[in-house]
Amino acid sequence: MRWANLEDILPTQKLIKSASFKEDKKISYISVSESELIALLKLLKEELGFKLFIDHSVADFPERKPRFDAFYILYNPQKNARIAVKTQTDGELDSAQHLWFAAKWAERECYDMFGIKYKGHENLVRAFMWETYSHFPLRKDFPLEGYATEYLPSLNEVFPGGDLTGLMNYDRMHTPVPTLKDIEITERSRLKKRAQIVLNWGPLHPGTHGTMWFLFDLEGERVVQSDVILGQLHRGVEKLAENEMYNQFLVYTDRMDYLSALCSNQAWVVAVERLLGIEHLVPEKAKYIRTMMCELQRINSHLLWLGTYALDLGALTVFLYAFKEREKLMDIIEGITGARLTISYTRVGGVRMDLPKGALELIEAFIKHFPKELSMWESMLSRNRIWLRRNVGVGIITSEDVYYYGLTGPVARGSGIPYDLRKLDPYDAYPWVDFDIPVGQNGDVYDRYLVRLEEMRQSVRIVSQCINALRALPPDAPFMAESEDPKKLKLPLDGIGLKVQEGEIYSSGENPRGELGFYIISNGGTKPYRVKIRPGSFYNLCIYPKLMQDRVIADAVAILASLDPVVGEIDR
Amino acid sequence: MIAVILIKVLIIVALVLGLGAFLTLVERKFAGHVQRRPGPMVVGWHGLLQPLADGLKLITKEDLFPSMGNRILYNLAIILALVPAALVFAVIPFGPEFSIGSISVKPILTDVNVGLLLVFAFGSMAVFAIALAGWASNSKYALIGSMRKAGIVISYEVVITFAVMGPIILAGTLSTYEIVQNQIQQKLWYIWVQPIAFIVYLFAMLAETGRVPFDIQEAEAELVTGFTVEYGGMKFGLFPLVEWYVEVLSLSAIAVVLFLGGWSPINIPFIGFVDPLFFLGPFSGFVWFILKLSALFLLTLWIHWTLPRYRIDQITQIAWSVMLPLTLVNLVLTAIIAPLIWR
Repeated sequence: MRWANLEDILPTQKLIKSASFKEDKKISYISVSESELIALLKLLKEELGFKLFIDHSVADFPERKPRFDAFYILYNPQKNARIAVKTQTDGELDSAQHLWFAAKWAERECYDMFGIKYKGHENLVRAFMWETYSHFPLRKDFPLEGYATEYLPSLNEVFPGGDLTGLMNYDRMHTPVPTLKDIEITERSRLKKRAQIVLNWGPLHPGTHGTMWFLFDLEGERVVQSDVILGQLHRGVEKLAENEMYNQFLVYTDRMDYLSALCSNQAWVVAVERLLGIEHLVPEKAKYIRTMMCELQRINSHLLWLGTYALDLGALTVFLYAFKEREKLMDIIEGITGARLTISYTRVGGVRMDLPKGALELIEAFIKHFPKELSMWESMLSRNRIWLRRNVGVGIITSEDVYYYGLTGPVARGSGIPYDLRKLDPYDAYPWVDFDIPVGQNGDVYDRYLVRLEEMRQSVRIVSQCINALRALPPDAPFMAESEDPKKLKLPLDGIGLKVQEGEIYSSGENPRGELGFYIISNGGTKPYRVKIRPGSFYNLCIYPKLMQDRVIADAVAILASLDPVVGEIDR
Repeated sequence: MIAVILIKVLIIVALVLGLGAFLTLVERKFAGHVQRRPGPMVVGWHGLLQPLADGLKLITKEDLFPSMGNRILYNLAIILALVPAALVFAVIPFGPEFSIGSISVKPILTDVNVGLLLVFAFGSMAVFAIALAGWASNSKYALIGSMRKAGIVISYEVVITFAVMGPIILAGTLSTYEIVQNQIQQKLWYIWVQPIAFIVYLFAMLAETGRVPFDIQEAEAELVTGFTVEYGGMKFGLFPLVEWYVEVLSLSAIAVVLFLGGWSPINIPFIGFVDPLFFLGPFSGFVWFILKLSALFLLTLWIHWTLPRYRIDQITQIAWSVMLPLTLVNLVLTAIIAPLIWR
């Protein structure tokens, strides 16, 4: 994938007066004045084919005037090119909600985190925090140690004695905590009851696959309208990123999409490597190992999806079959990396350690056996009449919806859009391996199911190619990059002392749940200035209320499971 | 005579409750092997004492009650679930008539001449239990679950009644004991001439007892076990015990009576019976009954642990637009062939 050049966006120079284009290999953007922003976005979307909404967020520069840098990232599927749009604002922007629905959710997040007001936004409520929360956490002046004036319903009271010291003394941390009343206000602000009963589906409900809180306004069993309250798992990962070193942030990527930690690890280190410009230094072996592990993780993640999905539709046995295979994979991953869930195996410049002896044989045995299992499950489900009746024609996403809602990953591919970053923007060993991108036809739940199953098969193909390539390499080949000039750029295994020059980049990787993008602004230190994470699940989820319109509750689980969101990634 | 009846009552109650508890182990073992795992292995030899441990755990649990619920209806629901389901066993014939000394004993509690009518009357009572449980719990999930179940039971009561009409016509009686006797006399299991009715009956049985693919009133993924969500301890345990075991068992027994010739051995239509278990002498009939019952129960389990689940609208649609017409067709066919069988 390339960044758009002047040719792609030529008309904007004539039609939009304030637009100025800056081309770069890492990120090219059009700067535009606040007032012409929406006109430019509209032009890009409707005339120039930048249809797919990737991301929108804000960076805060408190000592500057105007204070905020807002950026939009768009993608042109015809030309396979990206463009960023930047504008400066002092806290008020026009809403892009009529152009992309996904922008509506992104704007809510910016309102929540930065306090940016969007004119013309239909329902500007907070995305993650509760409605009565009065601070904006991602602003640079948000005090990390807490507000001294803030009243804290003390957590220390729980423990008699209260002589806790250090960080255990919660009295020191003046963090506001939502009360039940706050939560009620939040709930009221989301959904006005129109039908018979409002069903609180979540936040702790087995069908939501995490702590999501859905509100269904029900007429009998039919859902008249629905909304979702996010933020139960919000940990402020983006704020943490600004205060951790590049290597330290790696472990937080594990905890975002905890089901595909290796893929998130890989996307992060690739983004940093691209920002450093050291992609070519990473040894071949490391690239193959990363790709192979990422694909194993993809199978692992899809297996969990398949199991829970079948479980949601009542097929209990497939769940245990899938988990049995997943357990083998977990053991393989544990043997190689030492961890099962939060892995942190990759490093900027390579991987943490070489493959242990016998790892390749083990993986080979697994991928030999696995396709047979997969076919068996398929024979249980794919042509099963009940399965078909539950899946075919449910939750249809058209290809226009994919662009409008900013969907990526298997959800987009299920609707026939071959948007796969492994092909379009290859990183690591993906350009050297051979695989296909499965796409669906109708965009219903069943197509997404088939796409994911086929993706597992393609992953097996990739893994077997990686094994062959790794076999051909000498056993003592390096797995970490050597810096060309250690005085200029340190590339240690533990990542301490890694400095990144000034610059910015948007780089993304293909996660099992969609595009995981990192927009990094570096000001030349050991810590990034701002990291915006583009989570696949967040935007994939935003179509859910639309899909649930006029469906029954039983479809809620099928549709939600087919979107396959992970709350850790949505809330961050 | 009263002594005989009391003994029968004791045996049946012991069977219903004891067997029901034991069947939980059968189900868990069966499910385990379907899913390629051993199932319960710790308590007792191959988990034989697991039902006891489960029961002990359930009984010692705290008895919770939703604060805004209706306590009377809440507890009444449990009784309404258990009693009718157990009463069905009063009209199930377990074997042929035999005599101990001078007393001749029919292994059926009461051979009333409207036995089948009673069975379906009791079957319909189950819906009250579930509707009350859902209502009295004062929970939206429980309410939705119980409404779903009510919808299913209403649809499938009609279907199941029409499905059993065929065997009733052929036998010419509503007494369960007589139906079996007539099958033996006519040298014909009714399944041979009533295959449609049998299949429809099986489906309706799954629907009434809330087994997969019709277990939408529990639907743990979306409704978190539906109408039982506010019940705890043994009060919770009774619902699955009744629905999944006692009711499945009683309806399977009725299926055996109606379609598989009760206690009679293997049938060759219109020619006679072959009994490979002849060496058991007078016990052969009971063993055949139990074998047929187990086969049907295991079939239910097999379906349960293999298939996904339907959606509520699909279930009712199948009932009204597929199964009901099928049973009506079957009724017409039966009317045509009935004189041949009566001869």
